[in-house]
Amino acid sequence: MTVTDPPPMVSHPPQRWRPDRSVITAIMVKDITAIRRSKAIVLPMLLVPGVLLIGLPAGIALFAQTRASPDLSGLLANLPASLAHPIAALPSAERMIVLVNGYLLAPLFLVVPLMVSAVLAADAFAGEKERRTLESLLHLPVRDQDLYLAKLLVAFVPTVLLSWLGFVFFAVISNAIGWPVMHRLFVPTTLWMILILWVTPAVASLGLGIMVRVSARASTTQEANQLGGAVIMPLILAAVGQATGLLLLNVTTVLGIGLIIWTIGLWLIRGGMLRFDRDRIASRL
Amino acid sequence: MSEPAIVCAGLRRVFDDGLALDSLDLEVQPGTVLALLGPNGAGKTTTVRLLNGILRPTAGWSRVLGLDPQTQGHELRHRTGVLTENAGLDDRLTARENLMVTARLRGIDPRTARVRVGELLERFGMTSHAGQRCQGYSTGQRRRIALARALISDPELLFLDEPTSGLDPAATDDVIDLIDSLAKDRGRTVVLCTHFLAEATRVADQMAILNRGLLLVSGSPRELADELWPEIELQIELEAPATESMLDALARVGGVCSADATPAGATVSITDRQVTPAVIDAIVSGGGRVFAALPTERTLADVYFAYEERLDPVHRGLRAADAPTNSTILEQASA
Repeated sequence: MTVTDPPPMVSHPPQRWRPDRSVITAIMVKDITAIRRSKAIVLPMLLVPGVLLIGLPAGIALFAQTRASPDLSGLLANLPASLAHPIAALPSAERMIVLVNGYLLAPLFLVVPLMVSAVLAADAFAGEKERRTLESLLHLPVRDQDLYLAKLLVAFVPTVLLSWLGFVFFAVISNAIGWPVMHRLFVPTTLWMILILWVTPAVASLGLGIMVRVSARASTTQEANQLGGAVIMPLILAAVGQATGLLLLNVTTVLGIGLIIWTIGLWLIRGGMLRFDRDRIASRL
Repeated sequence: MSEPAIVCAGLRRVFDDGLALDSLDLEVQPGTVLALLGPNGAGKTTTVRLLNGILRPTAGWSRVLGLDPQTQGHELRHRTGVLTENAGLDDRLTARENLMVTARLRGIDPRTARVRVGELLERFGMTSHAGQRCQGYSTGQRRRIALARALISDPELLFLDEPTSGLDPAATDDVIDLIDSLAKDRGRTVVLCTHFLAEATRVADQMAILNRGLLLVSGSPRELADELWPEIELQIELEAPATESMLDALARVGGVCSADATPAGATVSITDRQVTPAVIDAIVSGGGRVFAALPTERTLADVYFAYEERLDPVHRGLRAADAPTNSTILEQASA
């Protein structure tokens, strides 16, 4: 062949990306259908929230009903005064339920969005490579941004919905089983609501942002979970250590902390989007 | 001549771990079946990825269906269908679900998609398995569903990587007929990456042989065979191997290049098929009885192996340091 110069092309101005809803929906429906059928994903997704948000609060509330009230004075003495004093002022039967279900379970609650988003994101991104389905997807007329957004939503939406649903269960069970002792609704508090509606999605975005980055380097879901776990576990421990404190702070501070987590999460996600490039992905297949 | 379905020049792709494709020049007309041949690692998959715009070239350019895969990949992928080396089906979905998702991602409305999916499942004999998850499928069944997926939007250009791998003989035959029909009857262009040379022989109008990222040769199998074997080889069937006197008589016939005895008679190389009657006359005059005289048909497979033979050291697996460079390969191949 003698042709060495490309034929002239009609130049088109670069088009601004607008999300293609039908494409995004189709990918989400596909992935969610597949996830629902995967025991390896569904079991941990249900088991961890089940234990943390249903089993534990129910157990604590039942324990408070059936046993003589334990002496919490030693424990309360080690808590910040701003938390300990209101609890100490309660009738002795109510102290344990309020302390555990109202405050101490809060950090564990944040484990749910972090963990679930990580599991789903690993399946959405690294799982596609592991199942060797990514190349056929790349050969379809799906824009990189639509694919990326669909994968994000596949992990983010179920995570937030599951966390919220878990919290509804937590609140209903805590109040129902605690009713004979408390005789009133004691969760959610205002700060709990901020934690649920503002901090939880932020934590989900953080878990997602981390796993998007990690999955780009991993070739299997297991590898992504291992790499992601190395980053996420310290975060979980930090969350456990710090979130009780969140409930002691005022509304503005908790909103601010949520904003910081959102910022980091979105920064990681945006970075992932910039790196989510067909050529880069196909080069690693 | 109409605009080529595929044209590329100097197409090159280098990965972090080395050269995958170097200076690929190719032109494929619409309605053509191109057999892209070569050993593993030759650059076939990279070529498909470059031509369908999922990889960017390091150098060179290409136009596929008149579009630039690099800047118009999205538009291009609406008009192409790809069967990848791995079926790439989601095992957790059923065959029907896998096909429906692809149809939706290709912008086919749900109603049309359902009809089209039903037709394709029927076409590939998978209707009764359509509701089963792909996890339990045999290799052949997966291949058929993947092929159906590549055809779902009735693309103008098909890239098929080992379409018959894992299929039984009847299904293989069916797929080859389908490819032939798509090109001949429907004017579709097909790029067929395969190791099965007999199948490629049946359908390919054009062949391109790649080796270690380098295009060794491309053209129609017939033209390439004529270049490689300018002489015609006649297999002469006699009642016994040709005698010395017969071979001497044949050597004196104008247009005969060589003559050798074989257990079945003789093999005679001639410059032109017009020489055939004179060859037979010479044998008959020498007392021989000719039962048949057939020219050896040179196939795509013969062309491929002829080039492979020229690259034999490479295929014997020389140590990297001893292996010839790409330019050496090219020189050897075109020698």
